[in-house]
Amino acid sequence: MRVSYYPGCSLEGTAKSYDISVRHVCRSLDIQLEEVPTWACCGSSPALKMNRLLSTALSAHNLALAERQNLSDVVAPCPFCFRRLKSAQEEMARDPALRQKVEQTIESQVNGNLTIHNLLGFLTERVGMKAIGEKIRKPLTGLKLIPYYGCYVVKPPSVTCFDDPANPTSLDEILRAAGGEVLDWDFKSECCGAGLSLSKPEKVCELTGRLVRDAAWRGADAIVVVCQLCQANLDLRQREIGLTDKKEYQLPVIYFTELLGLAFGCASEQLGLDRHFVDPLAVLKRKGLA
Amino acid sequence: MFRLTGALSEQEFLHHVVQRSGQNLLECLQCGKCTGGCPIASEKVSGPRRLIAEILSGMRNEALKNPTWWYCVSCGTCMTRCPVDINMYQVATALCELAQEGGIAPSERDIHLFEELFLKSVEKYGRVKELRTVAAYNVITKNPLKDMDKAVTLMRKGAFSPLEILSGWAKDRKVSRIFALARRTSEGGHE
Repeated sequence: MRVSYYPGCSLEGTAKSYDISVRHVCRSLDIQLEEVPTWACCGSSPALKMNRLLSTALSAHNLALAERQNLSDVVAPCPFCFRRLKSAQEEMARDPALRQKVEQTIESQVNGNLTIHNLLGFLTERVGMKAIGEKIRKPLTGLKLIPYYGCYVVKPPSVTCFDDPANPTSLDEILRAAGGEVLDWDFKSECCGAGLSLSKPEKVCELTGRLVRDAAWRGADAIVVVCQLCQANLDLRQREIGLTDKKEYQLPVIYFTELLGLAFGCASEQLGLDRHFVDPLAVLKRKGLA
Repeated sequence: MFRLTGALSEQEFLHHVVQRSGQNLLECLQCGKCTGGCPIASEKVSGPRRLIAEILSGMRNEALKNPTWWYCVSCGTCMTRCPVDINMYQVATALCELAQEGGIAPSERDIHLFEELFLKSVEKYGRVKELRTVAAYNVITKNPLKDMDKAVTLMRKGAFSPLEILSGWAKDRKVSRIFALARRTSEGGHE
């Protein structure tokens, strides 16, 4: 299977572990990722807030570039990029005047006929659990995992059209298929503070604190994420959260593709597991998985 | 339900926000489910319900200075729960554009600064250069060593290289042009 791949800025910056593990997992599943040539940033929340036309235009520009690849599907690992691509395509289909304005802004046409996937949806729905199950060589036996979806991949459902916004289960399914023990909890799609990490770190600590506290209380070995913003906010703020609670939190925060790669039999260093702030390797070694 | 009074303030503000955001705020029931689930609502940040009440009541200055829409990370929780499907982050965009046009200083300067720096990077290079954006933010806010210990740990682990801050200066002229054209169209006024 060949699909367009839109990695987004973080995956070539601070979230390289996500990018390399995505590429590894897809290679193992015989999926050819064709990177969208000269793709641009989706503008993320700053563009979305400050200028609606700009925000839609940036995603439309990426859609136009992807359409030229002549592939029917585009996959975005970053949930925000995914949501912006979907929004842009859908808003232009609904509003011909907006479409015209956007096309004038990007100086090219957008056909609007791509199937846009977030990576989790692509793997669970398009590739399928059966194909994934067949590749498992080293099940994640005995690993207690907290599935954390965050907001952007499921909310708002009118845009994402994916899973259940309050109680999503696709990540649970994938982790179970990989042999992990999936723990239930109440914060599956609660916010981590997202883009406020730099400007309002105290807000991020407040929000991630709820997640880390609950995951620790449930005896998790790791929190599993599908979003690089969730990863960074949870991975980097545990010391501050611990200071408030007078505790020391050391809860690894891992991309689901890293765990899938491990279960497929790949070495941990090749998946970027050695690059996180809170070290996941110790617990993985203890369980005989790394 | 909100009842229109026909006052001039409604025509000047409420209708603008409704038109630009494409969200019919007149349907708002003021039920509060939005603020109940809003991650950024706090004692200091009112959340969406009150913000909508301000817009409906024609309180232009209060609404444009309300920190809620600056804090909004467009998580989509309010829209997920709203019984009349109001998309709050599109209301946030409308308020941000109206505040800029009205020359109203951002009520949340830190958030505004970060978002400006982020977009500057995208405008120039087509992509956000994360490390450079973070460094610029920390220097401008006079806190250049903020989170430096964390950065050093991540660098030691190979999560990123300090050289990245010095590389990748290639410009994306196509994206710069999209920014210029989008600004020109936006300044030309909305329909």
